[in-house]
Amino acid sequence: MDMFFLAVALGICFLVLLVLYRVVYGPGVFNRVAAISAVGTKTLIILLIVGFLYQRVDMFVDISIVYALLNFIGCVAVAKYLEMER
Amino acid sequence: MIHRGEDVIIRTISRMLIPFIQIYALYVIMHGHYSPGGGFQGGVIFGASFVLLLLTHGYHDARSRVSEKTMIVFSSMGVLIYAGIGFLCLVLLGNFLDYSMLAGILHVDPAHARSLGILGVEIGVGFAVMAVMVSIFLDISTGGVLPGEEEDVGEPPVKEA
Amino acid sequence: MEVTLLVQAADESFAILEKARVRAVDLMNTAAKLTSETRWMEEKKVRAIFRGAQETRAGLQNFVVTFVILFFFWALLSGKYDTFHLSLGVICCGIVASFGHDLLFHNVRAGDMRVIAGRFFLYVPWLFYQVVLSNFHVARLVLSPRLPIDPKLIRYKTKLESDTSMVTLANSITLTPGTITIAIENGEFVVHALSRKVADDLNAGDMEDKVAHIFMEADHIYIQDVLDVARIFAALK
Repeated sequence: MDMFFLAVALGICFLVLLVLYRVVYGPGVFNRVAAISAVGTKTLIILLIVGFLYQRVDMFVDISIVYALLNFIGCVAVAKYLEMER
Repeated sequence: MIHRGEDVIIRTISRMLIPFIQIYALYVIMHGHYSPGGGFQGGVIFGASFVLLLLTHGYHDARSRVSEKTMIVFSSMGVLIYAGIGFLCLVLLGNFLDYSMLAGILHVDPAHARSLGILGVEIGVGFAVMAVMVSIFLDISTGGVLPGEEEDVGEPPVKEA
Repeated sequence: MEVTLLVQAADESFAILEKARVRAVDLMNTAAKLTSETRWMEEKKVRAIFRGAQETRAGLQNFVVTFVILFFFWALLSGKYDTFHLSLGVICCGIVASFGHDLLFHNVRAGDMRVIAGRFFLYVPWLFYQVVLSNFHVARLVLSPRLPIDPKLIRYKTKLESDTSMVTLANSITLTPGTITIAIENGEFVVHALSRKVADDLNAGDMEDKVAHIFMEADHIYIQDVLDVARIFAALK
């Protein structure tokens, strides 16, 4: 079971690397914002899988909830800033 | 000067999420012994909930719920709680922040008294951190305009029914 | 010969009368719709006056319901159920509920909450079923080699009245694969749909009807209008 979770975590890390291409080369800032938000969602999943691997899921669930919150608030803040720029 | 957001979806979702974010922040403060958290982390999350309120509902709606004077009072109160507990332990003939001396007042054994003492200190830290974060954000977003001089910046927008 | 001409003339006149009857029924329908819309606008004004009077009474109920929901959330988060932690929970929920008791329920009439909550919990399994159906459809679209998608932006006016119901509908549309709500601009939804079938499902208005049923909106029938119109309908038919 541990090997399965480890393989899944590595697969999702690879997907994060794919999305990072958009962060670096995305023409314009909107692509980059959307890509960072997607990276945030994948980070949540990786945190939870790491929690499974260390067998202390309750601790990592707390951290995941906090990161999801901060991701959302960051996204709203950046969107508000971009809207005001125009 | 942040204006009220025009999008119904973000406004409604933020308004529904904010009490849950605040309860989560208080949970993180209170359960610092057992899971990652403590005073500073909980204070930051509580401050983040006010920041969300400010971003989505605009400056005037947020000011009607929390004013800068409240934030100043909270930050001073947080430091007072922290230093107060420390000095209380000093007055009771122990070291500064030696919580086991609180066992006499609270009628519990010293180990329990240490746990409660740390909880009190964390609550003080949480208050202070939350107040400072919100006041910093308010200062930066209004460009340093004090509460009395707001008329120079602009009138509140017309409230729709 | 004259008989044929007579029969022909009678036939033509019957056709003309039939067309006139159909047009009269159409006119009647439009008139009924217009009177019910103006009636609805007047009703809305009267309701706004009453809502102001009911706000103070709903304050305490909002506080209590917010407190209960937040305490349930606290008990879910904290695994410890001894007196000390539960009393801490009570104090914390009291503080948060007193700060923002009007945040969760913005303008709900007092006494409506139980009905709305019950209907909402019945709506969720139907939404889940729709999500599963759309998943199959979009997967079949995307996995076929020639990619038969037809993306277009649809604007349509909604019959929902309050913020919460519009947001529920927007979230349900976004949750269903194939459609994404882009914006809501003063009562008009802008939705991006992936294919023709999905756009047709949206325009049929199933989801909108169900959401309006949850929040008890847009279900007005005015007896007086129906009585006015029914006599004339009966005579025409």
